[in-house]
Amino acid sequence: MTKYIMQRLLATVITMFVILTIGFLVIRLMPGSIFDGYDEMTPEMMQALNAKYNFDKPVIVQYFIYLKNILLHWDWGISLKMNPNVPVWTIVKQKIPVTLYVNFYSLLLSLPLGLLAGIVMALKKNSGIDYGVSFLVVIFISVPSFVFATGLQYFLAYKFGWFPIIYDVNAVGTAKLHSLLLPILALAFSPIARVARYLRAELAETINSEYMLLARTKGLTYTQATIRHGIRNSLVPLMNIIIPMFTTIMGGSLVVERIFAIPGMGGLMIQAINTSDHQVTLATLMFYSFISIITILLVDLSYGIVDPRIRIGGGKAE
Amino acid sequence: MKIFDKNDYKDLDVSKLQYVQLEESIHDTNFETKPIGFFKDAMLRFCKNKSSVVASILIVIIIFFAVFGPMMNDKGFNDQDLGRVNAPPKIPFLADMGVGLFDGGMTLVNRRVENLSDTSQYPEGCILDVYNRRFINGVEMCDLEVDYYIYNDVDEVYWFGTDYLGRDLWTRLWRGARISLVIALVSVVVNVVIGVTYGSIAGYYGGKIDMVMMRITEVINAFPNIVVMTLFIMIFGTGIFSIILALVVRDWIGTARLIRAQFYRFKQNEYVLAAKTLGVPDRTLIFRHILPNSIGPIITRTALAVPGAIFSESFLAYIGLGLRPPEPSIGILLSEGQKVLLYYPTQVLFPAILISVLCISFNMFGNGLRDAFDPTQRGA
Repeated sequence: MTKYIMQRLLATVITMFVILTIGFLVIRLMPGSIFDGYDEMTPEMMQALNAKYNFDKPVIVQYFIYLKNILLHWDWGISLKMNPNVPVWTIVKQKIPVTLYVNFYSLLLSLPLGLLAGIVMALKKNSGIDYGVSFLVVIFISVPSFVFATGLQYFLAYKFGWFPIIYDVNAVGTAKLHSLLLPILALAFSPIARVARYLRAELAETINSEYMLLARTKGLTYTQATIRHGIRNSLVPLMNIIIPMFTTIMGGSLVVERIFAIPGMGGLMIQAINTSDHQVTLATLMFYSFISIITILLVDLSYGIVDPRIRIGGGKAE
Repeated sequence: MKIFDKNDYKDLDVSKLQYVQLEESIHDTNFETKPIGFFKDAMLRFCKNKSSVVASILIVIIIFFAVFGPMMNDKGFNDQDLGRVNAPPKIPFLADMGVGLFDGGMTLVNRRVENLSDTSQYPEGCILDVYNRRFINGVEMCDLEVDYYIYNDVDEVYWFGTDYLGRDLWTRLWRGARISLVIALVSVVVNVVIGVTYGSIAGYYGGKIDMVMMRITEVINAFPNIVVMTLFIMIFGTGIFSIILALVVRDWIGTARLIRAQFYRFKQNEYVLAAKTLGVPDRTLIFRHILPNSIGPIITRTALAVPGAIFSESFLAYIGLGLRPPEPSIGILLSEGQKVLLYYPTQVLFPAILISVLCISFNMFGNGLRDAFDPTQRGA
């Protein structure tokens, strides 16, 4: 197991490194220079700036300087367009917490609701309730999170005035939660539906299994048997979809953050791309890569821990 | 017991033999029904599923409007006129029926009641509704709902209103739907073609080839979708082609895995062995003998991948990496409407409804196809 973890960690580090390299090369080799649009600049000024930011050196040298700064000083360069001369890490550092807050809470909110809906659907299989909830599930899965966000913002925030229309930066504690509830809700719809659909399929199969029959034979009531034996066993494969869902939520969060004017990573990335502030773009891309790769790593590692039946050995699992 | 063989009958006189039941009528009848093939069978099952049938009708309607909608009025998708910006939607016959959404109404607040009869300020017939009358400092004030078109003296009618540049949103919406659908369909077809070919080869040959090919997909899969799409658009610019490419880069892997699994299931079958013994070349074995088994899952996957592609296109538009203006797409209309949501909600309403209906329909359609091709999967 330890060997496996070490292997996976190493693979993760290598992947991050590859993404960083490709991202850096793509962004540096793009046509156009950062001085486009600043026509009043004299060639001397450009030369001086180029020398200051190492743009006059070959790309490969720039790359190693960049890499060295990150590894030794955790220095991700400085922002050139958005907040000139502010270190990228200082900008990014302020934006990460609120993004994680929104994403984490929407995942947290979606779990119990999704589980509940899934259990209800499986127990009432092929009844009116099942069909009704299934229809909602299809809607929640299909409609993009930003459409939900727009609808919630217009009706709940603007028409009814229950929530602030955009995020209040100065809010703390429950006021913060209150002002972030709509984005959290908008992002939670799709995970709720996914969890519910998955659990319904799993549980509907589990309920018909032999150990459930045995449990009933031993004298457990239907509810007891379902909760003690059925649900527990259906939860195991659920782990595999919950953790990667975090990455999916992150993607939707990019847009939802923009809709509610949340000063998070999503807004930062959009702003960085649109102002071609490449150092910041690269840092935000690395943030999203990091989150995604960590989730994949967690899934891989949790396989063996959650379900001992899945043994990770040297053999091929086909 | 003696076992008879051919030689024992050698001396029989053939002319003495006669038919036993030549005169009797045969009671078996021909099949009066036609045989039901694979697709017909699936079609029958599909038609039983009402929600999928409704979904496919909705898809056909949307495709019809996407093709012909922009031609239904004489306004171009990029005809700008700053004299008619942000017009509300108005469809005359629906307005007569009292559908508030389409009466071209615009709200004006804090107007003096005494001026309401002044036709130089409020042209005749423009006032639809007066409400919220109150006295402020002794002057009677009210809020008004006026017909934008009469009030601003615009003699044309815009069915879905206009945007901030005075462009007709009906034309833009359907043109946008057309472009979004083209992007989605082309990217899905490309991804299925690549995925099927790749998966077939990996699944058929197995062993080392399979291992190497699957490692490659794992490496590509490690790149998060957002990052891949962003980088792709940054390199190749924002055109239809680069958006399609950006959508394909990672999505074909799922198809490839599915097909590979199918090949693992079918390649050990006896009929494949029989074909191989007869000297059928690998290519024919793959595409003619094994692949058709997976036609159901492939079609299902194609249908289910469309909403994802539509979502990704809108997503790119939202983060500013969509098509270049003035070309519309559903995502671009949504993100432009979003900016004026609180003032002109109808500008975001129609694209939002369209994208929701489109995604829900394709998902239901895909689910129906899956149940039809493989009834054992129902409800999964």
